[in-house]
Amino acid sequence: MEFEFLIDGAPRKIFLEKKENTYVIGDGETALEAEIRSVSENEMMFFAGGRSSRVYIARDGERRLVFTGGRVFVVCESLYEAGHSPGGDERTPEEGRHIKAPMPGKVIKLNVALGEDVRKNQTLLIVEAMKMENEIKAAIEGTVKKIHVAAGDLVDSEKSLIEIEPKR
Amino acid sequence: MFKKVLIANRGEIAVRVIRACRDMGIRTVVVHSDIDKLSLHVQLADEAVLIGPAPATESYLNMDRIIRAAHDTSSEAIHPGYGFLAENADFARLCEKENIVFIGPNSQALALVGDKVRARETMAKAGIPIIPGMEAISRSVTEFEAAARSIGYPVIVKASAGGGGKGMRIVCEEKDLRPAVEAGMREAKSAFGDESVYLEKYIEEPRHVEFQVLADNAGQTVHLFERECSIQRRHQKIVEETPSPALDPELRARMAETAKKAMRAAGYNNAGTVEFLLDKDRNFYFLEVNARLQVEHPVTELVTGVDLVRRQILIASGEKLTLKQEDLRQSGHAIECRIYAEDPENNFLPSPGRILFLKEPQGPGVRYDGGIYGGWEVPIYYDPILAKLIVWAEDRESACRRMAAALDDFVILGIHTTNAFLKDIINHPEFRAGRTNTAFIKKYFDGWKESGKNEDDLRLVLAAAAFDEMAAATRPGGRPDRETKEGAATPWKTLGHWRIGGAGSHGI
Repeated sequence: MEFEFLIDGAPRKIFLEKKENTYVIGDGETALEAEIRSVSENEMMFFAGGRSSRVYIARDGERRLVFTGGRVFVVCESLYEAGHSPGGDERTPEEGRHIKAPMPGKVIKLNVALGEDVRKNQTLLIVEAMKMENEIKAAIEGTVKKIHVAAGDLVDSEKSLIEIEPKR
Repeated sequence: MFKKVLIANRGEIAVRVIRACRDMGIRTVVVHSDIDKLSLHVQLADEAVLIGPAPATESYLNMDRIIRAAHDTSSEAIHPGYGFLAENADFARLCEKENIVFIGPNSQALALVGDKVRARETMAKAGIPIIPGMEAISRSVTEFEAAARSIGYPVIVKASAGGGGKGMRIVCEEKDLRPAVEAGMREAKSAFGDESVYLEKYIEEPRHVEFQVLADNAGQTVHLFERECSIQRRHQKIVEETPSPALDPELRARMAETAKKAMRAAGYNNAGTVEFLLDKDRNFYFLEVNARLQVEHPVTELVTGVDLVRRQILIASGEKLTLKQEDLRQSGHAIECRIYAEDPENNFLPSPGRILFLKEPQGPGVRYDGGIYGGWEVPIYYDPILAKLIVWAEDRESACRRMAAALDDFVILGIHTTNAFLKDIINHPEFRAGRTNTAFIKKYFDGWKESGKNEDDLRLVLAAAAFDEMAAATRPGGRPDRETKEGAATPWKTLGHWRIGGAGSHGI
């Protein structure tokens, strides 16, 4: 059976098929026969070529977090977006309109008012989480069109904070 | 000795203190906010008292509630940990008044060293070298501007009551001074309940070297050598080690004597740390006294064999120091890495949320001090420190290798952590060479991205995800961990032709 995943944001395919007590794993270039065992809800054992490896896995909504070789990999189905949203400079003007909370926290200061013109990288508001102030900046130049929060509000990750009308 | 001690803190440090109390046969009481009712420190303590809602100002910083909890549980002493009320002289004074032993310095010494401005004055009078800076706090931006001009840019805004990087801002030009002072005041207010800030000359690329001191109530003082804490981000330490690669026996002895002198000048008792900046020409300046147990205390414990929390409790109970300076030795090398709930690829953005899986590293010379468990939700309200990983080995090189291996064995799934970042620091050639200073992260790790994931691991991970997908589909009741989205396509699909085998086969 073929599976398509986004692994750390990059699309990859993998083939996995049960063959009696083992599995055939392939990715188009290489193939391997391995014994795979689920040891617990979060642990799997792979046995191939005379050695075993342990892989740790956790499920988080549409994402799987997989750990092996000292690294965490984020695996999503290719239908869904990976966990990370791109940073400021990679945003298109369309995406830059909506300023979202990058993490859960508390709005402690609004630096702009409705209708105000803002420059790119201007600090719009400050969200505090885990005792650190985080300045949320404008990804584009434009005018503040909507403000959805007030100082003191608790916000969840991805919550829309401010909308900016891009400068034409 | 005390029969019962209340711990006015949370997270890994509360757990650390509980363990020391257990070793000493002392019963423990913890206080907690409502959001922390499922926290590890609450689970491990003998008794727990709910003292208020999640915001620290209404719980862990609420002195009256904590004092009441101590009385209600007949606790004889309070260990404040670090942060929160640990360096709050009003709280220490309140404890004294309420006849509860504060496990820390006396309130007068605490008030003196806790007030960074007065501390500088005292040290200067005692002949201890200090960094040029403002001689008094101010709330007037004009005064700050004038002071900055006379000190000379760059300057650093510091919280008078603070530590741990809270309230700190480096300012290179006058136009940035006002926002930096204002932000510093806000942060200082929320972290310490005191908005006082002041300016110091910012010394570029210094090393941060501190000395651990223990002083009993009779004034007998010993030092337990240094800790090198130069690896910092946002002025907050993330890797600490001892001995410092920068010191030779002569400089170490000179700094240690200065540290003891500083503590005597302050009339200090219990455990404390004297922080110094060491510049490129090996001049050292008094920075501040950390009047508490430090986050990085375990590295000292590993090279000296002294349990600092136990010593704090012994001193607070009135016992005389049994340690003799001439008997104390530094043996081997210890390194600590702080594990934070932060995304190092994304400007160290805090990463609260649920820990889905946790497996701590093990092995000879590996110590794990943590305040978390798998399934626990890391709240947004408090410091992002999750745990500390500390290793000891006979020499620095082995300790570095041991730390890198331990980080490889450390599994935390569900939230971002600093683990991969820390591993790259430990493996960096400049770190390996011992050439560290406070600009290290900025210099070598600006815009850091995790790299070095290998193709074999990638395939293994994909296979694991595919296997998990198959298992989920055959599990009775379907896929319990996932919500089915309307209109979502089947979880797998067969696409075109698939070629198995071929050139360049790799095993797993």
